[in-house]
Amino acid sequence: MIAPLALIGLVSLPIIVAFYMLRLRRRDVPVGSTFLWQQLIRDVEANAPWQRLRFSWLLLLQLLIAAIVVLAAARPFNAVDSDLAANVVLIVDTSASMATRTDDEDRMALARERARDVVERLPVGGRVTVVAAADSAEVVVSETDDADAALEAIDGIEATQLPGDLTDAFALASALARRDSDSTVVVVTDAAGDRLPDLGIGAPVLVERVGATDANQAIAALSALRRAGGAQLDLFVAVVNPSAVDATRRLEIYADGSLVDARDLAIPAGQRSEALVSTVPGSARVIEARLAGADALVTDDRAFAIAPPEVTSRALLVGSGSAYLENALALLPRLELYAVDEDGYVDALADAAESGPPYGLLVFDGIVPDSAPTIPALYIDPDADGTFGAVAARITNPVIARVDPEEPILRFVDLSTVHVGRTREVVLSDGMREVVSTSGGNPMIAVGEEGGRRIGLIGFDLGESDLPLQVAFPLLMSNLVDYLLPATDGILPSSLRLGESISVAVDPRIDRIALETIGTAGFPGAGTEALEVPVVGGRATIPGAELVGLREIRARSEIAELDDISLGQTAVNLFSADESDVRPDDPQRIVEMGRVSQSEGPSTQPTRAEWWWPLALVALALLLVEWMLFHRLTRRSIRRAMGPRPQPFGGRPR
Amino acid sequence: MSTTERAPFFDEAFLRRLEQLELASRRMTAGRMKGERRSVRRGQSVEFADYRNYAAGDDLRQLDWNAYARLEKLVVKLFVEEEDVTVHVLVDASRSMDYGQPNKLDAARRAAAALGYLGLASMDRVSVAFLGDGEATGMRPMRGKRRALELFRFLAEPRSERLTGLAAAARSYAGRLRGTGPLILISDLMDPGYLDALRDLAGTRCQLSVLHLLAPDELEPEVAPDVRLVDNETGHAVEVSGDDDLVDRYRTRLAEWQAEIAAFVSRRGGAYVAVPSDLEVADLLFDVLRRRRVVE
Repeated sequence: MIAPLALIGLVSLPIIVAFYMLRLRRRDVPVGSTFLWQQLIRDVEANAPWQRLRFSWLLLLQLLIAAIVVLAAARPFNAVDSDLAANVVLIVDTSASMATRTDDEDRMALARERARDVVERLPVGGRVTVVAAADSAEVVVSETDDADAALEAIDGIEATQLPGDLTDAFALASALARRDSDSTVVVVTDAAGDRLPDLGIGAPVLVERVGATDANQAIAALSALRRAGGAQLDLFVAVVNPSAVDATRRLEIYADGSLVDARDLAIPAGQRSEALVSTVPGSARVIEARLAGADALVTDDRAFAIAPPEVTSRALLVGSGSAYLENALALLPRLELYAVDEDGYVDALADAAESGPPYGLLVFDGIVPDSAPTIPALYIDPDADGTFGAVAARITNPVIARVDPEEPILRFVDLSTVHVGRTREVVLSDGMREVVSTSGGNPMIAVGEEGGRRIGLIGFDLGESDLPLQVAFPLLMSNLVDYLLPATDGILPSSLRLGESISVAVDPRIDRIALETIGTAGFPGAGTEALEVPVVGGRATIPGAELVGLREIRARSEIAELDDISLGQTAVNLFSADESDVRPDDPQRIVEMGRVSQSEGPSTQPTRAEWWWPLALVALALLLVEWMLFHRLTRRSIRRAMGPRPQPFGGRPR
Repeated sequence: MSTTERAPFFDEAFLRRLEQLELASRRMTAGRMKGERRSVRRGQSVEFADYRNYAAGDDLRQLDWNAYARLEKLVVKLFVEEEDVTVHVLVDASRSMDYGQPNKLDAARRAAAALGYLGLASMDRVSVAFLGDGEATGMRPMRGKRRALELFRFLAEPRSERLTGLAAAARSYAGRLRGTGPLILISDLMDPGYLDALRDLAGTRCQLSVLHLLAPDELEPEVAPDVRLVDNETGHAVEVSGDDDLVDRYRTRLAEWQAEIAAFVSRRGGAYVAVPSDLEVADLLFDVLRRRRVVE
């Protein structure tokens, strides 16, 4: 028995018998005289609080019910074989896709149910560690042999809005498995796009896959650009449809809570549709895109953006003239673009130094100046070495390697359909990092800092690629300019992904910064997230937000004028193609994380099969019988008491 | 009976029927006043025996005016040969009698009224008393039908007695009792001193008749399961769990009790009559008591 202490309840049996032996509280019936009755009763009953125990079906049933209930409470079991090892690490996926819910499916509830099954299958004496895993791992109960505690912990696990990353969870499982060779890792997941670590673990991995539906569409990108002059905002929205059927969704755009645009987007199965919205007023601060109607996952049906500030910098484009490049740069609201050829470069700088505001950004198209500029610069198809590095011969027909989806330079930029004819072979200087490279590892796009100035590099001639013809081009240029010219009035980017942490520079006199994220109503685990982080050396590391919504940063300082001032606002969005693709994936890649041969796997262990529930059913049935019997007896008693003429003894005349 | 006031118990027709009956007096010896009762001893002489105080209803012709002139006291002369009996009717007025459907005390009042009226109609002296709280509370002996209304009013009076104290009440009455005649006790006898009471009453020179009055549900009880029977008189409670066995035992005990009383009374020359309270008074008088020769 799992809970033998419950057998203490057997003391209820003599208590029930005692209640039966105790005299009843009887109904008073007046009689003329008890003269004869006294003589009669004196012979058979003593005047005591107890009476002789008489046979009663009700008593028998109640004793039986009490005994069965006590026995069930003691949780009897018999041993059966289990496929689990003595030490089980149970990882429950709580990433955003686990919040999938349709009329037929509640994925997180299914996951909890499967997790409970695992705990109930534990071998005798087995221990379980329950880990909730979203973008990081959280141990909800550690190495316990108390099944009730584990079940209670499982019941408290809820889906998050965060993208899935099982790296931490597997690292934890690996550490636990190292301590006990007889271990099994069980992952309850929909296997929908969760990141996995590169290295496997030394224990077998079982996967309990949950979920079936893939009926989801998602807002995959939302970016607001301020048009030159600042009177109007241009909004770029991308909606993906990872499901297997075509879909048409109504896209609604809200500016500071007011609907400003609505349109139907047809999104073919597995494709992406994009929309450019030009009806957002320039005065708008918070912009929201919303997919009307319902689908399997709500977390990706709304996205937010903070309108970029009206700040312009003078940019000088030096080159022979590329219409695509000029248009793309001219469209950027932050830039006031000027263009000269290579010969006019020096004069233009001199003029600016003498008579006008200086240039904030230099863009060199096909050339490299003799002297390194002292302001941020973007080099396109450089023909000579520069502060970015050294160039050599061109590589023909380079293949773009897989890009890092988290790379901020490539935010909303889809390079999968971009073709490049030739690209420079480049050796980057120490301060530079690759953003896009060829499959052979040659950098094609890079950014970095050299001498305190930011530098960008596009290693190929735009005229020898189809990039300028694609939507990705203006977005790429916008992201590069954002990088080269960091915003001066705010320390935050206009949008962040869930869980994305950043390091920001703030006034060193600020002691701490307070973060408050207001989640979106109706999303799983929605609420308000608030925390404070210290400022060290004029920089603060802002941890990733866990809620889709708006995040505001405020200063905390001993200096009154710096205390509680707003340092900026940013939007937090899911924007995870992996999580939005809620279709359960093949779990084999997770199973393969368990790099252990079959012979080293756990042997079959005995586990407990509890059978308290059939006892509970029997008790319920007996309770029903007892209830019916009691009412039958009571009815008979009432019938006898309600005779046709008033009877002082409460009886019917014979 | 001629009266403008309505009798509380019986109508005129019933009273006229009653007048056809008279109480039997098997133990009658010498009376003290000339009466209308047929005697078992029929003497011829008119022999003065004694005086006694005048009682309301006495024949004024029997007043001794000479004695009145001397003593300024109304006395009547008593003679030896002619019977002059007193009919004693005792009604148990305890709370145990105030119970039942029909109410036992009401039935007792009616029976006492009928028997008393028989005595009045026979020109016998009638003495009626309630027994309760250890005492006998009666009215002055009376004679003649004209006193019937007074008798009925007395019997109809509400009673406040609680306990019977049957033995003490009977002893009290028996101690005051003079003369002879029928003595009729109407009671449920549900009192621990019932035998003492019967012994005292039977010890007088009167002819004792016991009308043992019980309610129908005392004769045939029906007890619900698990009840607490509360005594109407003493408040004492008895817990019983009604079943067929218990009722059977009650019936047996009741029969034994009634037989015991009947034997006790019979041994002392009396008559015992078990009377259910739902028995009509006409049936009681014209059938039951006539068959038991309590009335003729």
